[in-house]
Amino acid sequence: MTHVSIQELTKVYPGADTPALDRLSLEIASGELTALLGPSGCGKTTTMKMIAGLLEPTSGDVRFDDRSILRDKPEHRGVVMVFQNYLLFPYMSVADNVGFGLKMRKTDPTEIKRRVSEMLDLVKLPDVGDRRPSALSGGQQQRIALARALIVQPEVLLLDEPLSNLDAHLRFEMRDLIRSLQQEMGITTIFVTHDQEEAVVLADRVALILDGQMKQYDRADAFYKRPVDEATARFFGGHNFIPGKSVGGTFDGPLGQLTLADGAVEGAGKLTFRPENVRVGQGDGNNLSARVADVIYLGTQTRLKLRVGETEIDAVVNPNEVEGFKPGDIVPIHLPPQTLWVIS
Amino acid sequence: MSDRLKIILLLLPAMSVIVLLFFGGLLIGLMRSFNYMPVIGLTEPNLQAYINVFTDEEFYWSFLLSFHISFTSTLISCILAVGAALLLRRAFIGRAVINFLFQLNLTVPHLVGAIGILYLFSQSGVFARLAAEVDLIQRPADFPAMVFDPFAIGIILQYVWKEVPFIGVIVLANMQALGENYESVARSLGASKWQTFRHVLLPLIFPGILSASVIVFAFTFGAYEIPALLGANYPAALPVLAYRSYTDVDLAARPEAMALAIIIAILSAVMIFIYIRYSRKRVRS
Ligand SMILES: Nc1ncnc2c1ncn2[C@@H]1O[C@H](COP(=O)(O)OP(=O)(O)O)[C@@H](O)[C@H]1O
Ligand SMILES: [Mg+2]
Repeated sequence: MTHVSIQELTKVYPGADTPALDRLSLEIASGELTALLGPSGCGKTTTMKMIAGLLEPTSGDVRFDDRSILRDKPEHRGVVMVFQNYLLFPYMSVADNVGFGLKMRKTDPTEIKRRVSEMLDLVKLPDVGDRRPSALSGGQQQRIALARALIVQPEVLLLDEPLSNLDAHLRFEMRDLIRSLQQEMGITTIFVTHDQEEAVVLADRVALILDGQMKQYDRADAFYKRPVDEATARFFGGHNFIPGKSVGGTFDGPLGQLTLADGAVEGAGKLTFRPENVRVGQGDGNNLSARVADVIYLGTQTRLKLRVGETEIDAVVNPNEVEGFKPGDIVPIHLPPQTLWVIS
Repeated sequence: MSDRLKIILLLLPAMSVIVLLFFGGLLIGLMRSFNYMPVIGLTEPNLQAYINVFTDEEFYWSFLLSFHISFTSTLISCILAVGAALLLRRAFIGRAVINFLFQLNLTVPHLVGAIGILYLFSQSGVFARLAAEVDLIQRPADFPAMVFDPFAIGIILQYVWKEVPFIGVIVLANMQALGENYESVARSLGASKWQTFRHVLLPLIFPGILSASVIVFAFTFGAYEIPALLGANYPAALPVLAYRSYTDVDLAARPEAMALAIIIAILSAVMIFIYIRYSRKRVRS
């Protein structure tokens, strides 16, 4: 079990004027699964490579159980990185691929054989050992890459977008497999993704990186309820941002005076609320009357585009609640105070 | 017209030249080596030329020498080329300059290189004089024999000088296409630098090395001009032996020359076949 501490980690590639990663700090508790979330090009792979020792940081530190590992060679760090495009060795059988790490440690061949077949069982591919990697599907290759990493029993496991090359249905399967193996083995794991849903479902905690900088590091629900800024809220599908001023528990803006939950930030800022928290009908506080601009049926949900005065509001509601709604209708809505959040 | 037919028709002119010159030449050579030449009244083929070749002791010495030249120069070239490619692929500064130096001698003909070797390494050459001048040796003639010597050092030097860039360019392109991710995976799985080279990079670039080295081996085994210029008189490399028979005043030696040429071709093919089979197994285990 290893506690991972990343301190002000920075990487400037030779010849680049802006850092690919700018002072990233993270504390990852022993045995936790943390998601590193961010759009393509934000520095996620760069971070992983620096932890794995495959890339030299420009500055900053990486500590395992409070010991800096930056001077350790990659093969002595106890970290294994699984790459996005699997990278199984094409000239070896699947079994040799899985056993590679043990062979490098000069483990006894019969022992290797035993552990390889154990690992293949664990990733639910017991019969593919003799095949070439090219004879496997993408999903199978990804599982073999995972088996090849887990067999060396790393203290820290780094997964670089393990799901992004897979079909939707394989993605669910793989997600569950990663989660269950990680829990079972208690390996401290960092998992990279650009998909917020994946991060939320899989991770204990999520670190959101935008433009090389960490925006927020929190439990998944916090990104929906308490985003630190507009960009963060938008990354998680937030739509409603209303400028105004927060004074003594009320928000004064184009929607009039809205009641806030206790402890809201004071001063000028932006009011935000999730589309799915907008309620149709009268309720406790913050009742408004809105004009329907558009009704978009999404199957299990319906998206409403509403206008209150000049302000647009996005709502996502149960289709039953809005049957018969059409553009131009005037409808009552309300915004429960505990679902409102002020970004300073 | 189907695409296939079009391609065949387009290739026809080039193919016919190759077929005519290569297979035609081969056929005539083969006939001549069996003493079969209806035009001049030799209508009864026999194996006399082959018997003559195989009963001459010089043939065996020549074979050993040619094999030594090809094997040693191919091996040394491969090792140096892989080493150079490893150094070059990470060198960001002056990559263009290094690449240029690396490729420069690809354009220098073998013959010119051989004359350079003669000029530099022979016992009356620049290095011999320099060594005598600074009293490393007493007279230039005391310089170790590297040209016209029994170990063919001068010949091998010339081939290595010429072939390292050839193999190196192929290996370098190969490495650059692969990127470093496979090696990163290996390091992260616990392989040391050497293990990563041996178990990951080498097998990955091996197909490139194999095809390049087969070309070099076959070329050096069958090439005439360098051993003729820089080689000892006895034993002579196989192609030199063949050429001598061909230009012998005794016309009866002609079939022997043809037999030798055919034997050289067959030997190269057999050795390349064995080499490919054997080395593929070794590198991938
Ligand atoms: N070897 C490199 N040399 C120069 N710039 C690089 C290199 N690798 C990545 N970058 C740049 O660094 C930034 C972050 O890249 P990366 O870590 O791969 O992002 P992500 O994995 O989040 O998509 C990108 O702008 C990318 O272009
Ligand atoms: Mg990436």
